[in-house]
Amino acid sequence: MSAHTLMEITPTTFAPPIADKPAQADSEVHQTLIDIANLDFFYGETKALHDISLKIPEKEVTAFIGPSGCGKSTLLRCLNRMNDLIDIARVDRGTIRIRDIDIYQPDVDVIELRKRVGMVFQKSNPFPKSIYENITYGLRLQGVSAKSRLDEVVERSLRGAALWDEVKDRLHESGLSLSGGQQQRLCIARAIAVEPEIILMDEPCSALDPIATARVEELIHELKSKYTIVIVTHNMQQAARCSDRTAFFYLGRLVEYADTQTIFMKPSDAQTEAYVSGRFG
Amino acid sequence: MKSTERHIYSLRPSFHRRVEGAVVWVLRIATLIILVAGLAVFGDIIFKGSRTVFQTSFPFVNVAFLTEAPKTLYVFEHEGASFEMADDDFRAFRTGLEEEAAAAGLPAPQLKTKSYVYSAGGVFPNIVGTILLVMGSMTIALSLGVASAIYLNEYAKQGPVVRFIRLAILNLAGVPSIVFGLFGFGMFVIYFGWNVSLLAGWFTLAFMVLPVVITASEEALKAVPKGFREGSLALGATKWQTIRKAVLPYATPGILTSSILGIARVAGETAPIMFTAAYVVRDKLPWEVERAIDFLFQGVMALPYHIYVVSSKIPQNEYSERVQYGTAFVFLGIVAIIATTSIVLRNRLRSRYRW
Amino acid sequence: MKRFFDTELETFRSNLVMMGEIAVRQVRDAMKALIESDLSLADQVAAADDELDQLEIKIDEEAIRYMSLRSPVATELRLVVVGMKASHDLERVGDEATNIVRRVARLSAEPPIKPYVDLPRMATIAIQMLRDAMDCFLQIDAEKALLICQRDKEVDDLNRQLYRELSSYMIERPETTSRALELMFISKSIERIADHATNIAEEMIYLAKGEDVRHTEQTRNPDAG
Repeated sequence: MSAHTLMEITPTTFAPPIADKPAQADSEVHQTLIDIANLDFFYGETKALHDISLKIPEKEVTAFIGPSGCGKSTLLRCLNRMNDLIDIARVDRGTIRIRDIDIYQPDVDVIELRKRVGMVFQKSNPFPKSIYENITYGLRLQGVSAKSRLDEVVERSLRGAALWDEVKDRLHESGLSLSGGQQQRLCIARAIAVEPEIILMDEPCSALDPIATARVEELIHELKSKYTIVIVTHNMQQAARCSDRTAFFYLGRLVEYADTQTIFMKPSDAQTEAYVSGRFG
Repeated sequence: MKSTERHIYSLRPSFHRRVEGAVVWVLRIATLIILVAGLAVFGDIIFKGSRTVFQTSFPFVNVAFLTEAPKTLYVFEHEGASFEMADDDFRAFRTGLEEEAAAAGLPAPQLKTKSYVYSAGGVFPNIVGTILLVMGSMTIALSLGVASAIYLNEYAKQGPVVRFIRLAILNLAGVPSIVFGLFGFGMFVIYFGWNVSLLAGWFTLAFMVLPVVITASEEALKAVPKGFREGSLALGATKWQTIRKAVLPYATPGILTSSILGIARVAGETAPIMFTAAYVVRDKLPWEVERAIDFLFQGVMALPYHIYVVSSKIPQNEYSERVQYGTAFVFLGIVAIIATTSIVLRNRLRSRYRW
Repeated sequence: MKRFFDTELETFRSNLVMMGEIAVRQVRDAMKALIESDLSLADQVAAADDELDQLEIKIDEEAIRYMSLRSPVATELRLVVVGMKASHDLERVGDEATNIVRRVARLSAEPPIKPYVDLPRMATIAIQMLRDAMDCFLQIDAEKALLICQRDKEVDDLNRQLYRELSSYMIERPETTSRALELMFISKSIERIADHATNIAEEMIYLAKGEDVRHTEQTRNPDAG
């Protein structure tokens, strides 16, 4: 409410920076990377996503929020076709274009797509191998085996994930010997080792304590200079803190998509307002 | 004042408490009966078997029993003393006597002998045969079973067809082993013309344990966290790369556990090999073949079948018990050794691939 | 651990410090314009008020943005809230400075009714209070802030004394009434500036200790008893 009052008393001569203008300015700077248009998605006979249209800009953090079962994770998993793993899942209508390539075209190489669109999962899932092997997993799949190249990638990825200093002396210990937050950052390092363009994060902090969460959020903020990040989160503070744009989903529909500040300060939809205020129901 | 309510501190036990106590005792006694039965079985075999396998003088193990083939025992009296000899010893002894007599110009002495088949010698060919049967059939069963478990669990579209296949596999597990024996006889021995051979026995036994291996392998694959698969696929791995590098290593301990059960069953079954692979007696050892290919097409002697033979196919007497229990004891020992090895291997893998 | 949005808080803090400096400069220049009848300086002061207004808006926006997106707690939350309130006080200080210079033009047309003695004294104290209050903000010093609150009494007393003095002028020499009234308003403005400085000091105590000392015995001048 106070936000509204403030906006009303703001003199018109002064550009209101909290409102729409910077958002528009931003989206002009960062061009659209992922373009979702009129997407309908089914699990068997259940329609999980209704007519979703959404443009995700490059090198920004876009957060998907909404109550459980609203379809936000489903949409995220459409972006690297992880939903293909579920037999009954199918895209019924609409397109998802990444750099103007429709990723649901039959001739798209899903393997290649997933190299370009990395993913970090809710539950940190390092392989029960050494830290080094976890990071080099993706490269080894591609046939890279030169030790010098692998060493270099391990260091670069671990530095990129702000984990290098903590693990550089025990690269050959099991990835599972790390703490929860470190494991999640290891998974992020593993994802950036294959040099993706987009990193999808499915509730990456939901199993972490606040300090570990803050570290991962810090990392997300650093990563966005190089990668486009899409993050699904239940934690509204997290969306507010680390995203540039926020999409609110409810019952498989996109209710509101705007600059994060707009979503959290003057959402235009009553449902969004109710959800971000924590009185949903 | 009459009340049906009982005071909570009443010393008299209530009806429900008496039932409770009785139930506990019934269950306890049932368990005790099983314990006693188990101890009796093992005790009997170990007690009686160890008299055959071990001896009181050096080297304390009856080496002949473990390294020789079964022989016929000859019992006779000569010049007031009684002898017990295996057939080859007996023949040498008799030849000696005959030469002695010929040298002295006397007629050959007539020995009054009684012979008992299989009661002398050892069970070495049987041990070898059993080990060969176990190794071969488990190799076949594991490669087929794991492959089909991977297909069913990772690749096949889950639906009515796969459900039907699973049901069929489960039903296969309930088929009596003699039926497998008959099937193997008809299929491999007669139709494929493999005769009574190792190969026919391998396949028959493999088919018998396949349901166990497939079901258990599927469980082991299911127990690998979904996160490993997703993590691998999300890094751009193909499905097969994922299975090979992120699933199978972690399912191996579980698959081995199932194969331990399979080994015990394969080693122990008599019925399936009776018509397909087992000889009552064969004087050559399996590696004494002319061509390598003959190795696959020879029958072998096996411990369980030997027990069957010495227990029901020969006249029973004071000498046959010795070989019955000795064989059983050796047989138990071999199964125990194979199982222990597998368990150790499984545990080692498990600690290496723990998550 | 450093967080990526710590810089936002730094910007917020330095904006407030900058506002404080501008406010102090405005009051000082206003008094200088009054004493030296410097009309161009007076115009400058009036024109510079816009700076303060813009900064106040900026601080408010930053504060609301920070509260909605960063969910601050404890010291940070107090900083943001105190920043909003203090920026409002500083903006009012700027308004009072503008009030003062508006009267300069009218006063400079005629000779002063008496030499400016008490007004500069009051202004000096008020400016000092303002400066100290901003120092307290930089140093998070609650003890010093409490002393500022207690000095408000001095300015109030001077204001009352000047009021009586100017009243007697008006009675004795009715032709000085309009000039005396202007001076009374200026005195009142300076007194208001000191009040705002006191408010800021109280806010700084709240920032440092989380205690609300407004309208309590603590902030009264112990000598006034």
